[in-house]
Amino acid sequence: MAKQTFFELIKPNHNFEFIGRMRLLLGISLVLVIISIGMLPLNHFLPSRGHTLNYSIDFRGGTELQIAFDKPQDPALVRATMSDGGYPGTDVVSMKDAIHPNTFLLRFGAVSPLSKQKADLLHKALQTKLGEDAVRKFEFSDGGDKIYIRFNKAVETEAIVGVLNDAGVKNNAVQRFGRPEDNTYEVILVGLDVEVKRTLEAKLGAGSVVAIPSVESVGAKAGAELRDDGIKSMLFAILCIMVYIAVRFDFRYGPGTVAALLHDAILVMGAFAVTYREFSLTTIAAILTVIGYSMNDTIVVFDRIRENATRLRDKKFDRIVNISINETLSRTILTSATVFFVTLAMNVWGTGVIRDFAFAMNVGVIVGTYSSIFVAAPILIWLNERFFKTTGKPTKTRSSSANKAIA
Amino acid sequence: MDRNFLTRVTAYFLVTVAAVVFLTPSAATWLGKDDKLPKWMQKMQRIQLGLDLQGGLHLVYEVQVDKAVSDKADRMASDLEDKLRKQAVTQVRAERFGKDEIVLQFKNAADAAKVNREFLRDFKNRLYEDSRDAAKFEVKLKVDSDYVDEQRDYAVRQGKETIENRVNKLGVAEPNVFRKGNDIVVELPGLKPDDFERVKNLIGRTAQLEFKMLDDGSEYMKKIAAAVSSKKAEFPGIEVGHDGWAEKESGQGHSDVYLRAKDRAELERFFASLTGDDLLPTDHEIGYEQTQSRDDDEDEDNKKSAVAKERYWRTYYLHRRAELTGEYITDAETTWDQQTGRPEVSISFDHEGANLFEKASGSNIGRKMAIILDEKINSAPVIEGRIGGGHARITLGGMGDPFQMQQEAKDLVAVLRTGALPAPLKKTFETQVGPTLGRDAVDKAKFSMIVGSLAVILFMLLYYRVSGLIANIAMSLNILYQLAILALLPGGGTLTLPGIAGVVLTVGMAVDANIIVYERIREELRAGKSARGAVEAGFGRAFWTIFDAHVTNLVAGIVLYSFGTGPIRGFAVTLMIGIVANLFTSVWLSRAMFDFYVGRRSSSAHLSI
Repeated sequence: MAKQTFFELIKPNHNFEFIGRMRLLLGISLVLVIISIGMLPLNHFLPSRGHTLNYSIDFRGGTELQIAFDKPQDPALVRATMSDGGYPGTDVVSMKDAIHPNTFLLRFGAVSPLSKQKADLLHKALQTKLGEDAVRKFEFSDGGDKIYIRFNKAVETEAIVGVLNDAGVKNNAVQRFGRPEDNTYEVILVGLDVEVKRTLEAKLGAGSVVAIPSVESVGAKAGAELRDDGIKSMLFAILCIMVYIAVRFDFRYGPGTVAALLHDAILVMGAFAVTYREFSLTTIAAILTVIGYSMNDTIVVFDRIRENATRLRDKKFDRIVNISINETLSRTILTSATVFFVTLAMNVWGTGVIRDFAFAMNVGVIVGTYSSIFVAAPILIWLNERFFKTTGKPTKTRSSSANKAIA
Repeated sequence: MDRNFLTRVTAYFLVTVAAVVFLTPSAATWLGKDDKLPKWMQKMQRIQLGLDLQGGLHLVYEVQVDKAVSDKADRMASDLEDKLRKQAVTQVRAERFGKDEIVLQFKNAADAAKVNREFLRDFKNRLYEDSRDAAKFEVKLKVDSDYVDEQRDYAVRQGKETIENRVNKLGVAEPNVFRKGNDIVVELPGLKPDDFERVKNLIGRTAQLEFKMLDDGSEYMKKIAAAVSSKKAEFPGIEVGHDGWAEKESGQGHSDVYLRAKDRAELERFFASLTGDDLLPTDHEIGYEQTQSRDDDEDEDNKKSAVAKERYWRTYYLHRRAELTGEYITDAETTWDQQTGRPEVSISFDHEGANLFEKASGSNIGRKMAIILDEKINSAPVIEGRIGGGHARITLGGMGDPFQMQQEAKDLVAVLRTGALPAPLKKTFETQVGPTLGRDAVDKAKFSMIVGSLAVILFMLLYYRVSGLIANIAMSLNILYQLAILALLPGGGTLTLPGIAGVVLTVGMAVDANIIVYERIREELRAGKSARGAVEAGFGRAFWTIFDAHVTNLVAGIVLYSFGTGPIRGFAVTLMIGIVANLFTSVWLSRAMFDFYVGRRSSSAHLSI
């Protein structure tokens, strides 16, 4: 039978030296990890950045709204108008939008149309206008969208509206709350989007705001909760993976896999820190995808190492690792290349969140492939030498024997 | 081809047909061809598109449980004052401090001593004496902490139910309301931006209903009518109107003076500008009604031209004390006015409310009673006689198209039925996405994914030839199964952007699984095995590699699902589904295709791989 030939990117029987260059490449990895982590405080102190990562409001708390104008606007003017209108430190980012050409993304800290300071002023105004002891209780929690005011006597709602208007809190509904004899009134504050539109139109002219396609508000507490949930679930997932690998392979393989995926997660985060792209919940999803991918990659390589370790007992363990990496190299490159090009297409043609996701994947595929060979494998070799000093025969051979049974 | 093989193929075929059937309704909905579906498919579950894909509203409210507790404490403070007053203690002030402390401040020691065990028996399990300052005649009471916890939990549960009931009556497809700690999450995918404000108002609405008597023929309003002409320059839009009606039984006439204007704010400003003798008496208040000239209008000109019917605001001079409030409502429903055919809302009161209503109507025959909803007069019908039975009707504004009126009636029923919220809500999270934004994102995502998938399909064909074709078929079926499982999830799965990320990851893993198998088969072929032997060995050896890689990801998926929130969960769901579908397609299904492919050839033939 004639020997069959294939369409191949990498010829078989190649033997590239990976393990010998381990030190150098591990060093590069270490440097990249240090840069990634070091970028965080650096970003914090860079005047143009100011935050460790470009956190979206998912984590920071605040409001993010897209706003479309009828004609091109100067971002600086928009920023100044917002600042004068009681929204200091507003980020104004121009964005591409097919439907509305003059769209900006505004991001600011307020989640409520009323700030605590303004509420305090309002409380004082009510006391001066309606009498010092007329106001029995004034309840407003920061970030809320309602105010509760209890009076010692019946008060005209019009009078309350009047005081509100004078204090610059306009277009709000005031209504009685609870039993009439409680004299409690509820002020329902108008939506933040309405308030922002009013603020901007006052300066830029009525009708200048065409549309507000999306608004997202996250209270500071909810933001912290989202972040903690995300971190907690990620850490627990890593722990469970380690346990699974310890059971399926043996415990030498666990730390390498986990180190590789931590390495990948840190470098992807680092890429977001260096480029200062928005870091949102979607980015967390992207990092999870990268972790999943990296784990898949590492396990494929480790599986081959485990298999070869039983087959080639006469060889040194680091040689076995090098052979295994070479044997799986063709697959590694093919898989990485396909995933890379799919996500590259998403990066080039996608928008917004998709693009950020694809960017994370592009970085993740590269570091994920690299880390299986240059992070996970060296740790495996080191652990083997440190604790076993054997040829690397796994203590558990259940799956290997299963392989044989099928083959 | 043995029997075993045929059974497998039949099973795979049936699974594929089932998947296509389960997905058809979702596909029809996306293509807007729902009406063309056969009847039995119409009711099947569909994949929901998440907020980020189709737009909509996502709200998280924190129930301000402490406010519910402090409200209860406030009421107990009032009750304490009442009870003391009955025991002839008038010199007392009961005030709540913090959320669960009530301080009773007396003027003398004898009064303070009246607050003892016996006195507090009425407040058993709710209040207890915390401390007493004899020198200051001060008694400090505290709300029982079990009672506090109970009230808090009740407030959240009741709040969730109230919101759920209101939202369910909105007529929005697939609303989702659930509790998370003290928070209530409301998801309304597909809601149009025009409805955002309406829905937010409806959810947060207090739904305060009051019935108050009109003080007709008052001297005050006559005086005010004179003031209008003197302030004409300042308030040009305000006119004086006259109203008259006769009592049915006795024929006694009633007349009233009112003010009207296009703009409610102008009327409000007018009353706010009054001073001195013109100041509104404290036991009265002004109510506002938005109305329009009707056919029974005294003004002949308005009657003739239907076009000239204009909306305006008019005032009512009301007694401040409410005869009845919405607290006594037991039920509300939409009905139709027999004469005009307009929708109206009929409400029923409980026993106590019915008694109050009967008493109030009995002693005010011939007068007008204003029905006030959230500070706005809904209508002010003339009381024609004593009304027993505890029923009342609210007619709707009378303007706007019938559909809008019906909508209004339904919203009103929703809030009246579900009652007032037990505790105020604080919005902690809000996402509004317009459908255009969602649509744009979906289109771009679709395009980029199609380009990416085509590139992979082409690559697999070029690199692995026939085997590549098998891989492509397996990959397509994989996506089909994934979506079918998603459609079958209880309540219909939701596809979000992070969910699509999960699909991308698993499709990537599917491609990888094929590559692992094929590279293995090539190795075996190079080692000189026959096609059949190489396929056998390739699949066999690759199985555990693929299995381990998938199970580790499945473990991660389970953890992320249990601990994650929102988007992370969406990712975890598609990841877990994808892994199961993957193992099925890349291990068993493509193996069957290979068996079919290899089985038909002679053992010496080359494998196209």
